[in-house]
This record gives sequence, C-alpha cells and structure tokens, in this order.
Amino acid sequence: MDVRLQISMVFHLDKCIGCHTCSIACKNVWTDRKGAEYMWWNNVETKPGTGYPTAWEDQSKYKGGWEQRNGQPELRMGRKSSRLINLFHNPHLPKLDDYYEPWTYRYEDLFDSPEGADQPTARPISMITGKPIDIEAGPNWDDDLGGSPVYAANDPNLEGFSPEQREELFDVERLVFFYLPRICNHCLNPACVAACPSGAIYKRGEDGIVLINQERCRAWRMCVTACPYKKTYYNWSTGKSEKCILCFPRLETGQAPACFHSCVGRIRYLGALLYDADRLLETLNVADEKLVEAHRELILDPFDPYVQAEALKNGIDDQAIEAAQRSPVYKYVKEWRLALPLHPEFRTLPMLFYVPPLLPVMARAEQGLYDTSDKELFAPIDKARVPMEYLARLFAGGNVELVRYSLKKQYAVRLFKRMDTVGDIDRALVKRALQEVEASEDEAEQIFRLTSLPTMTERFVIPPSHREEALAMLTQDLWEEKGGAGLGFREPPTRGA
Amino acid sequence: MKGISMMSMRSGFTWSVIGLCAGLLISIEARGQAPSPGATLFEKRCYSCHNIGSGDKKGPDLKGVTLRRSRDWLHEYIKSPAAMNRRGDPEARALFKKFAPEVMPDQDITDEQIDAILALIDELTRKNETFVPAGAKLSRPVTPADIDLGRQLFVGRRALSNGGPACISCHTVSGVGRLGGGTLGPDLTAVNVKYRDPELIAILQNPNFPTMKTVFGTRPLTDEEIVQLFAYLQNVKPAHPTTQALAGIARIEPWFVTIGFVVLLGAIIGLNVIWKSRLRGVREPLVRRSTS
Repeated sequence: MDVRLQISMVFHLDKCIGCHTCSIACKNVWTDRKGAEYMWWNNVETKPGTGYPTAWEDQSKYKGGWEQRNGQPELRMGRKSSRLINLFHNPHLPKLDDYYEPWTYRYEDLFDSPEGADQPTARPISMITGKPIDIEAGPNWDDDLGGSPVYAANDPNLEGFSPEQREELFDVERLVFFYLPRICNHCLNPACVAACPSGAIYKRGEDGIVLINQERCRAWRMCVTACPYKKTYYNWSTGKSEKCILCFPRLETGQAPACFHSCVGRIRYLGALLYDADRLLETLNVADEKLVEAHRELILDPFDPYVQAEALKNGIDDQAIEAAQRSPVYKYVKEWRLALPLHPEFRTLPMLFYVPPLLPVMARAEQGLYDTSDKELFAPIDKARVPMEYLARLFAGGNVELVRYSLKKQYAVRLFKRMDTVGDIDRALVKRALQEVEASEDEAEQIFRLTSLPTMTERFVIPPSHREEALAMLTQDLWEEKGGAGLGFREPPTRGA
Repeated sequence: MKGISMMSMRSGFTWSVIGLCAGLLISIEARGQAPSPGATLFEKRCYSCHNIGSGDKKGPDLKGVTLRRSRDWLHEYIKSPAAMNRRGDPEARALFKKFAPEVMPDQDITDEQIDAILALIDELTRKNETFVPAGAKLSRPVTPADIDLGRQLFVGRRALSNGGPACISCHTVSGVGRLGGGTLGPDLTAVNVKYRDPELIAILQNPNFPTMKTVFGTRPLTDEEIVQLFAYLQNVKPAHPTTQALAGIARIEPWFVTIGFVVLLGAIIGLNVIWKSRLRGVREPLVRRSTS
C-alpha cells in the first residue's frame, strides 16, 4: 500500500445557480493578464450544451484523455512515436475560435465622439488584435440554453438519443437545463502530465495539485490536446501553457481557493482524501461502467488504523490524517456515495466530484392545473425531465444505477426533512425511502446539515501545509529563517528611487 | 627636412643596388634563357590577375607601377591591400573602387620576393616589353580526344590524380548535367574569352585565387590534366546566345521553375494527406452545419 494525500473537491450541482461568480473571482485573481484573456480556469457551463471550448467532450475531435489499448491505458492522442513525429505540428489543437476571441469595448468612444444625430456606441474590439470584431462566440455563449438549436442540440452527451428524445428535451414546458461549473480536476492519472515532452507538468507530492513549471514549459502544447477536460491553456504572450493551480498560495495559508471562497450558492466543498497509489493501474483497467466503483475503491478509509500507519510511513502527518477524517469530500464520495466524477470514461481519475442535480419533474396540465404529483415513491427521479442516461453519461461512464442511487438518496433526505419540519409525510413512507438507499435517519440528518447548513470550516477542511517542514529540507538551521516569510527578497533592496 | 633628405639618400642607394641586381639578372636570363626568380614568382603568384604591358585583367596592368608608386607603398600594399584600404589610403581606395568587386587577397610573401617581382616589372617597363609566361605552355599539342577527356575530369567522372576535387563541385559550364554545376565559383562557360590562352594555362597550373589556392595548393593538376581541361574549356559551347553576356550569373530556366512548382504542389498535397486528421476547428463547422 502506497498511501498518498490528495486535495479533492465536491461541487453540489443541486445548489448551483449559474451566477458565474466563481469564474469572475478566478479571472480577477489569475487570468486577467495579456495572453490569458481567453482562459477561464474556472467556467460554468449550461447542460445540455457544448460548453467551453465548444464540444470539449467530443474526444473524436479533440483526442484528449486515455483509452484502453491492449489492456493498457494509452493516450488517445497517440503513442510516443506518433507524438514525436507530430512534435512540431500538433494536429489536434483547438483553434482560438473554439474557445472564443476575447474582446472588450472601446468605451472612450462614448465620451470622445463628436456631436451627432445618433448616440455614440462602444464598439467591441478584439483583446488580441485590438481591431473591431463581430462577436460570434463567448466562453458561456450557450448560457441558459442560448442558441440551443446550435449548441445544446449538439451536446456530445446526447449521442445515441433518438430524435424524439432530443425533441422532447427542448419542448416548451419540458425544457430543462442545469449548470456545470468546471475547474481542473487535479486528476490521479493526469493525461497532461503524461503527454508533456518537457517534463514541465507535475503532480505535487504533498497535496496532488497538478502544476505547470513555467520555467521548463517549452510550449509544445501537448497538454492542451491531452487534457480531455481542456483545462490547460496556451498563453500566446508568454509562450507557456497555464492551468488552474487550485490557488495553492491560498491553500498553503489555510484559505480556500478563490472560486470556492466566492461561491454564493456554497456548492463547493474541499478536503483531503487518502488513496492507494499502488492500485492505480488496476483501477484504470476496468470497463467504463465499473470505473466509478473502482475509483471509489481507490480512496482509503482514514479511520482505518492500518491506513493511518501506512500514511505516517509515507510522511503524511497526524494533522493531515485528521483533516482527511473530517473531509466533506470523503463523506460525499465514499460514505454517502452521492458525488460522482465527471466523465470517468476519460480515465484520468478526476478528483473533482459532482453531486448530480435533482431536476424538475414531468408534469401534466389537466383542467388548467399544472400537476406534478404522482403515486410512485421515486417518481420524481425516474420521471425527471432529463433522461437518467444523460446524467449517467456525464457522471458515471454510462452506469445509470449509480446516478439513480445518488438522486434517490437526495430525494429520500428531502422527504425525511419534509416530514421533520412540515410533518405532512407519513413516517413509514420516509422509512421505506431511506431503506431503499440503505441510509439511517441519522445519516439523512448529516447529509442535510452538510448540504444545507454547512459552516465555512465544514466546507473547507484544508490540512496544514507545514511549510516549516519544506523549509527544513532546504536549510540546516531553521533559526536563521525565524521571523522570515515568503521567498525573501528576489532582488536585494537598494536605497533611493 | 633632414629626415627627408636622409630618406631620399637611402632610397637612392637602394635603387642603385636594385638596378645592379636587375642588370645581373637580365644578363643571366639573356645568357641561359632560364626565367628569372622574379618571373617565376610573378607567373606563380600574380599572373592570374595581373599583366605587365598587356592591359588590365582582374587587377591593374603593372607596367610602370614602380614609377607611379613608392617602394614602401608597394610593399605595404602587396602584403595587405585590405588593411591599407581600411586605413583610408587614397590610392588604395581608388584601386578598390576601380576594380570592385574584385579584392586583392593579402599575400603571404617575403620582402625579398616582392623585391624580385618589382625588379622584373622595372626591367620590363624599361625595355617596354610585355610579360610572357615561360611556363604557361601546354606539355603537348591538343588533340580532339582531349575535349571529352577534359569533360570527364570536369564533371568528376574521372578523378584528378593528385586528389583535387572535380571542377563541377564549385563551377558550372553550359552543358554539364540538368542542374548545372556548383555556384561557389564563377561560371566557366566563356572563360576562354575572359582569359587569353597563356593566362588560362597559368591559372590551371597555379590557381592563385584564395579559395582555389587552399584547395589545389597541395594537390596541383598534372600536365596531362591541364591539357585535357584546357581543351575542354576552350570548346564549351554556350547554350544560349545570351549566355556569354550572362556568364557568372545563375540562369533561371523555365523547366526548372516548372519542376519547382510541381514539387511544391506535391509537398503541400502530401502534407495535407499525412495530417488529414488534424483539427480544423469545431465551433465554426458546428454552427455552419446547424444553421444551414
């Protein structure tokens, strides 16, 4: 057993209101720079939709992630030999247009225009060329099903749906959508790391954050192709690739990343997970439908004394183990089995999990009444407007049962709390519902509390980074560093202006 | 004032010594008909670019140069013309300007050797004779068979016996191969017009051009090879009437342009076939497909 620690995340989609506050927080902190204007390390997509970059999930085009070849996981973009041949001409890169051409407006025209018969307008100008452009795409162009006949209708996850099913999805009064916020998944088997010819991308040993060394990056852009989530971006100004860094400077000082911190719906949870690195390969060699279960198996129980002892041997300290025990991610993913990884079939073992949303139900309009009631216990789940297959394709490699279980459990918790607070539901019914998902009333209460009333410290359980230990590896005499902080002066200060 | 008079005194003394030596040399030559050391040196080192008495070649005719310029100037100039030009000597500058783009290379030569050459120039100037290279003669008369043998040497079908590289590696003439020869050296198509026969023979015997000197200095042509190459170069026929005018300038022929264009087209098509699976944008085609 090779125990490692991974900072992992849960996004509770049932709570996401699609306000894009997370995206803005990230943009203001990290990508508000020349060459990075088009990057959205955090973005929020509407599903069904094609997302950002357009149709990123369609790996027949983008060639991201891994696939099974001869019982071994191999990068979809090709073997080492073909990658070497294509080194100077990576043929599978998204165009800027597939992201969007970043733009701003020439606001000074509003003030400087000469007097005329018409009001002056601020023309959109490209942030790359500085010339006026016609805006044809944006990072959330299909927000709230905007342009759905073009974008939502071409959602790669709808492949295999019959034309009737597709039509129903976009019918008036049956229309449905939900939001999918995305950041880098900081995968356990990152394709970007595997594809980098310069060895510039690495997964941090202490917390599993995937980073690009800006000094070693040689702009081959193989990571851009390899990442199936299209979460590495090429900065055309610096000539280096960049990606979400999970705000590691904030994490190291005990703060949640900017997008987590700013989330108004409080949908984001962050905590440590312990996993067994020895079993990575066998986890990757299972069929698509079994990937989620294998992924969960990889995550170790932080209460198990054997796991704790092995963790200590690997340099994971007591405080980190204690943080892993309090981890909200461990509860959602492993204990309650509510959260699922996004597109496990890409086989990168993403460490960002999603609680699938309980979506509006089908209804009948009878005698002018809009009736949503039904006799069946879990009717709202099975008759949800979005077919379960769609959610299964997103979150479970096509395994409908896993999604159904998560939704049923969420619904059971709702029934339980309704009985508890409103009292108009029979206790026997609630018991039956909870039994179906093998949950106790105590567990239902816990799920409710962490979902609806969590405090900041419950949502973000960040293990202390122990930077003094990192420092001890670098210097013999820690007293020398007493009172010091940060990196010190990179250039010695001098007197004068 | 004193310095100048000393100089003129010294130079007067030098002149008389040189005159004496020259007289001695002439008498030797007159008696034995053997070329003087000055003549041998001149033929070897200077004749490829300079004449004495028969007009400018690549460099100026040197007849009367010892009267036009001072001895010190000549010594300095022969050793490093470029240095003198850089220094801004007006006469050196005028020469560089007149004979551009030809530049006389720096000579690795001793003062004694220079003096011997100047003595020869002096003598010929005085006697109003022209320099006729003694060694610049073919070892045997040219026969028609030599033309083809010379061609074989030129294109490298037969190797030069002393190990020198074939002419075609640096030179071209009309009618060698579809793609012609090298372009490092000049086109030799009209070389028999550019140089008189003894000059051409002298060059073949002793190519005193900077590049050729390093290549052929230790690997000279044999007498037999000189005859054959001379015969070939004399008989190269210009491909077009204008070739002579364009000698030395690379010609662009229509068939060459056509082949280049076809190869380029092939390369573009080939690369498109090899990378036909590359991503040509996702959003644009998707929008086009959905809205049409």
